[in-house]
Amino acid sequence: MPPSRALGRYIISLALLAVPAARAQEPGETIEVEGERPKGSTRAPGAAGTVIDLAQFGGEVRSVAELLLTAPGVSVHSLGGPGQAATLSLRGASADESLVFLDGIPLQGPGGGAVDLASLPATLLDRMVVSRGVLGARFGAGALGGALELLPRAARSSWTGGAELSAGSFGTRRAAFDLAMPIGSGSAIVALQGDRTSGKFEFARQITPEIAGAPYYGFARENADSTRGSGLARITQQLGSDTAIDLLLQGSAGNRGLPGSAGAPTTRSRQSDRGGLAGLGVRGDSDGFAWSARASGRIDGIEMRGLQGYGDCEDGTPDCPRLHQTSSSARGEGELILPAGSSQRLRLLLSGGGEWVRGGYTGAHRREVLAVAASDDMALPLGFSLHPALRLDKVGKDAGVSPALAAQWRPGPGHPLQLRAAWGFSFRAPTFSELYLERGGVAPNPDLEPEHAWSIDAGAEWRTALLTLSGNVFWSTYRDLILYQLFPPGRVKPLNVGQARIAGLELQIVVPLPGRFIGEVSYSFLDAVNRRDGHSLPYRSPHRVFARLAHRGDRVEGYGEMSFTSALPRNAFDTAFVDRALLLNAGAGVRTIGPVWLDVEVKNLLDDRTLEDVFQYPLPGLSIAVIARARL
Amino acid sequence: MKRIALLALIAACGGKYQAPPPVDSIALPDGSQLKPYDPAQPGQARPQGLAQAAGRVYVTLSNQRDGDPYPVNAGPGFLAAFVPSTSAPPMLIDLGGADGHQCQNPGSVRASADGYLYSPCSGNFTGTDTARAIVEVNPLSNTVTRRAAIPDGRVPNGIAATARKIWTGDAYTTTVFSIDRATFTADPTPPVPVDCEKTAKGFSYVADVMIIGVDLYALCGSDISGALYRLDPDTGEVKAKTTVGMTNPTELAGLDDGRILVVNTGDSTLWLVTPSGGTLTSQKVLQFSGKNAALQDVRAFGHIVFTVNSASNTAQRIDLDAQGGPKVVGEAFFGLGANPYNILPLDDTQAIVSNRGTNTIAAASWK
Repeated sequence: MPPSRALGRYIISLALLAVPAARAQEPGETIEVEGERPKGSTRAPGAAGTVIDLAQFGGEVRSVAELLLTAPGVSVHSLGGPGQAATLSLRGASADESLVFLDGIPLQGPGGGAVDLASLPATLLDRMVVSRGVLGARFGAGALGGALELLPRAARSSWTGGAELSAGSFGTRRAAFDLAMPIGSGSAIVALQGDRTSGKFEFARQITPEIAGAPYYGFARENADSTRGSGLARITQQLGSDTAIDLLLQGSAGNRGLPGSAGAPTTRSRQSDRGGLAGLGVRGDSDGFAWSARASGRIDGIEMRGLQGYGDCEDGTPDCPRLHQTSSSARGEGELILPAGSSQRLRLLLSGGGEWVRGGYTGAHRREVLAVAASDDMALPLGFSLHPALRLDKVGKDAGVSPALAAQWRPGPGHPLQLRAAWGFSFRAPTFSELYLERGGVAPNPDLEPEHAWSIDAGAEWRTALLTLSGNVFWSTYRDLILYQLFPPGRVKPLNVGQARIAGLELQIVVPLPGRFIGEVSYSFLDAVNRRDGHSLPYRSPHRVFARLAHRGDRVEGYGEMSFTSALPRNAFDTAFVDRALLLNAGAGVRTIGPVWLDVEVKNLLDDRTLEDVFQYPLPGLSIAVIARARL
Repeated sequence: MKRIALLALIAACGGKYQAPPPVDSIALPDGSQLKPYDPAQPGQARPQGLAQAAGRVYVTLSNQRDGDPYPVNAGPGFLAAFVPSTSAPPMLIDLGGADGHQCQNPGSVRASADGYLYSPCSGNFTGTDTARAIVEVNPLSNTVTRRAAIPDGRVPNGIAATARKIWTGDAYTTTVFSIDRATFTADPTPPVPVDCEKTAKGFSYVADVMIIGVDLYALCGSDISGALYRLDPDTGEVKAKTTVGMTNPTELAGLDDGRILVVNTGDSTLWLVTPSGGTLTSQKVLQFSGKNAALQDVRAFGHIVFTVNSASNTAQRIDLDAQGGPKVVGEAFFGLGANPYNILPLDDTQAIVSNRGTNTIAAASWK
């Protein structure tokens, strides 16, 4: 696709308008006053962070992956259109190095590694917190790029509820309901979400890509349908004046086609998955110290049919066995928060459990996970604060130490300026897939060692009622990176051979504007370099810009947004690139009757059907959705 | 007057060779016709190498069924002989011998100067099975005339026939070794290393071997480099070496002026190597777009070069003498899932490819 001369104009105009929407109270809607929400993760004070409040996106059909793109320092690698797999990358780290937690419970994919964001239901969440940096000391081994915390909707002490229905292009449907209620001495919430799409969209592709200016031809995406149902239940009970118990249950099941790349479609491959987690915790506080104990577990299973190492096959035939894989984990942890004088708070954590994987292509394996962590939050004179942390993790045979230190400075209480800097070192143990998965062109390597990384970053934030401006720069170094290398004959095998340096810049501007408009712009710059040969690391986009202008009124709402991703290398030699991509989305809605809102949303307004992801899965062109929602 | 003009036009064209137009597509036999070991589990033709001999084109049939992690050899290897301009069904030549297990998984096929065809059979890649072999086929009779067993521990890849020896590469040890053409047994001399730079835990391989002019050439590939070796065709002594590309070269081809072309799938490049005295000098002459990068083969007809890309299901026609340097001047698309692997020019505007995905021979024409 030829470069668009209009690109600069789009960026500039949207940047000038730029915004996140503070949520206006809607008539008939109960708003609980919870005080000021944290500006970052409570687990990682001093870390570069972004909070994504899902209430900003009412009237929009959003996946978790799409919501994450509003934050700087985040990349999402999606395999095609709606309902297809998507993984998270923070600060250029791989998906395995970017941890995902649901209410503090670590998630893993069915292969014991990267989490498929498409399996996470957005409407069941209250907000998402993105913390960036080498944060193993705060989140545990593996957080080399950072961590994503998914915070589910909280139980409420009054009867409230909501519903959302949407229908749109490509046979895409969504239904979501939630109900919160008082129960016993506490509260509860139940939320359900169902999604379905036929995934049939048209895309355009050059069939002779080596000829300059070659025409594009239309193709129809097949076998890209997806159906998913998810549920969440949460109950909180007061056990006494200072003690409460929390129960969280979450489950999801889905079925989808695996359409393959544009050049080699797989029309017979299917995948079904199901997973769930449970967490039971007790917490209390007395005499200034707080404590909590929690047991949690999760299990995920996946079945793939009609899929072979080098293409698809007829399910049920002798050479086309079904692939089953299950991964699970269980752990218990206790945490103690102790005041140490008037200006210090010590946090101690002990955690232990196990991880299991079982599958036809990995065999059955287990490993124990143990962690001991200590951190301190120190308020120092002259507006300084220090946040040292140390964590020891043992993941199977691999053990390591993750130290970290963060510092913040504010000229005075309530002052809009805050400066921060942080350093961290940590490791990532190989995933079960890297250690044991033998399938298609992939060979296992049970001798893999952990990856290691350290990073340093610094940032500044200016936050007033009229403007929030934040910026961070970072420098990360990775060694012993696990990379898939050629392995005879004609396979790839993970080996600890990579060394990389990733540096970058993250900027975000949030501006409340007159007329209940809010503008937001985020920009991410990445310079990801293979230290062995100086070439760029593949699949990392140097520049990403997101801009959004939203309006939340009593009767009218709407938004317009732009997402731009610069060309990114497709190979490790700077000789092949994925074209840059520009997406424009917009939506508008009105309150019709009582609390009922009716919205229309259009994505990919330019109807660019030539977009492909890094693995050459085509992405959909223009799509339209109609959304009805109500909250009581 | 019209007649004079017509003759003048033909003269202006220089009387260049024009092959008969190939048929658009030739279906190769399905697995049930390829002597499956288990009739209930036949393989597929999975065509690969292409060569011309005795007025026909020969294509190797791997005869495999899809398996995990590797394809499974479902029956003996075959050669299929056909005439590209006719739609007559290909004639099959069973390379498996009496027990059907003396050649499995044939890859390339090449003709010697004296008209025989040679094909390396890689077996099941373990390096220990008896289905590894070099087979000799007489294209006049379409029969297997001789078979040479491969010493244990070696997996043959690529083939080059000289007057006295058959050279092949060992996919595992990055060496080349020879078969004596008189006795048709492996030479007792040690294999010749043709290694190239690789990462500490990486590996290298012999992508192919070929006779170009009077020399033997061996192409080494690894995760971070490629190297072309020139060797003595009688002794295997290394005479020169040059780097070609940054990673994973897949194939080489000779030009009629003695220069050598190399395609690299890893960095999507075409390299031109010039022999001069005792040295080889190389230069990158074309950077492909890298969209759908999986360059599998390169061939030349005069100064027109043909490449094939299995990911984009395309073949490229490249003019080496184009103004401003070598340039893709034509491209053909064979359909989604075609998975073309090898290409054979019929003249400078027509070529055929072997489609592993659709088990067909397909034609490309840029007239």
